Amino acid sequence: MALPLPPGLVPSEVAFLCEMEHVTIVPRQRLESIELLSGATPSLRPPRRENIPLWLALLLKKQRRANILPPPWLHVDSLRDLIHHETVTDPTGWSLPPPPPVRADGRGNARRLNSDATTVLSPPFLPSCTSSAPAGALPYHWFEFAEMLLAHASDDVPSASDVRSLLRDLQEVRAAKMRTSIAGLESGVDGVMSLLGVGAMELSESRGFVTGVVEGVRKLGASAEASRREEEEERGGADDDEPSDDDMGI
Amino acid sequence: MDIDDILREVDPTSSGVPNETSDLQSLTRLWVAERSAPELLEWPSGGLFERINDRIKAQIEKIEILTGDMDPKTNFALIVIQTELERYKFLVRSYLRARIAKIDKHTLHYLSSEELRSRLSETELAYATRHQALLHNHYLSSFLSSFPTQLQNLNDTAGNVSMIDSPDLDAAVFIRMLRDRPVTGQGTDADITLNASNGEVLILRWSSAKSIVEDGDAELV
Repeated sequence: MALPLPPGLVPSEVAFLCEMEHVTIVPRQRLESIELLSGATPSLRPPRRENIPLWLALLLKKQRRANILPPPWLHVDSLRDLIHHETVTDPTGWSLPPPPPVRADGRGNARRLNSDATTVLSPPFLPSCTSSAPAGALPYHWFEFAEMLLAHASDDVPSASDVRSLLRDLQEVRAAKMRTSIAGLESGVDGVMSLLGVGAMELSESRGFVTGVVEGVRKLGASAEASRREEEEERGGADDDEPSDDDMGI
Repeated sequence: MDIDDILREVDPTSSGVPNETSDLQSLTRLWVAERSAPELLEWPSGGLFERINDRIKAQIEKIEILTGDMDPKTNFALIVIQTELERYKFLVRSYLRARIAKIDKHTLHYLSSEELRSRLSETELAYATRHQALLHNHYLSSFLSSFPTQLQNLNDTAGNVSMIDSPDLDAAVFIRMLRDRPVTGQGTDADITLNASNGEVLILRWSSAKSIVEDGDAELV
């Protein structure tokens, strides 16, 4: 009854999440709006483009009721630019994620979509795989999304075989960066490590290894850390009596 | 979709997120967080689960009505509705099962203090209490009763060693920022503060990340 899976999302769960991404389709048949638990689907009238969740788009695609429009970042040129960026421009970090979506407020200003909402949206609920997504920036679910699209709708992706080989290059470049960032842990573990621009599947893939390394280092250095904290506390106590932020809530 | 929906969609002052979407986002976030966090998280307040359960019930009723007329046109809609229902139910089920797994693992820990008890929902509390009682009775009848009385406890804290196993709060977690803010984390060699931007993924200890996640400035991934 209890879930037997280890902590952290496994790849199949990541793929499940990715299927919630919205994608743009061109319907080939009329379909009335359907009341779903996650909200009503738009009523489909060919050839008007609509955004629907990926799982539904794949279902419609299988039944030949719609064609999927791949997002701009999945085009050959965009992927070439990304590979160029990852290998030449910035060979150490990942390419930046797409900027948070903004929206005009009617007074000539743009503000972030999320700024005052009660529930802040995050992937897979941001429109990062629709046809309005920016080119040249990989969204969080890029790998799973591209794989699924190529597997089930490869005839909708222009020059699919090129895209496939470029994606493989991109994945290899990025996986190598993941490994180097782990090797960086040898020199010491700081409190926070940033993985700006990493993708969901890449994270899921190396989650066990990364957490294993961080945990191992923490356990090995536990006594050194405790003595460092004690020292800091003593020094802090001699200088002033205010406890530092780091000592709180442990 | 009527004219009000269309107007709301283009109205720049509204946040433009319908209720259903924000509920699904909340449920998804809770599920991912529960799957990744080393300890049991708070049961969501604000009637989220009541709302979700009511909606699932209504949807099942609708399917029952729709299966009555086998018109080929509504047939496809029925497939879509059922697929979506299954996806939704998977989320709810996986969330509850992840919680039960944590409760099973550290039952006595979550029953040990009022603060920890309040994280459990009513049914989870009932489950944990009965489960522990059954287990204790079983231990008593099979071997504990032949021990000396002072050694029969399962929650002994004598000699500064607690028998109650608790989750490792310093375990490393991955979080994704939802707002720009500085993040302070404790490390083995140094405690550092990093200015993290929206959408950035960080690795840090759960004990350092917890307050940021609870403020809603970041989510577990």
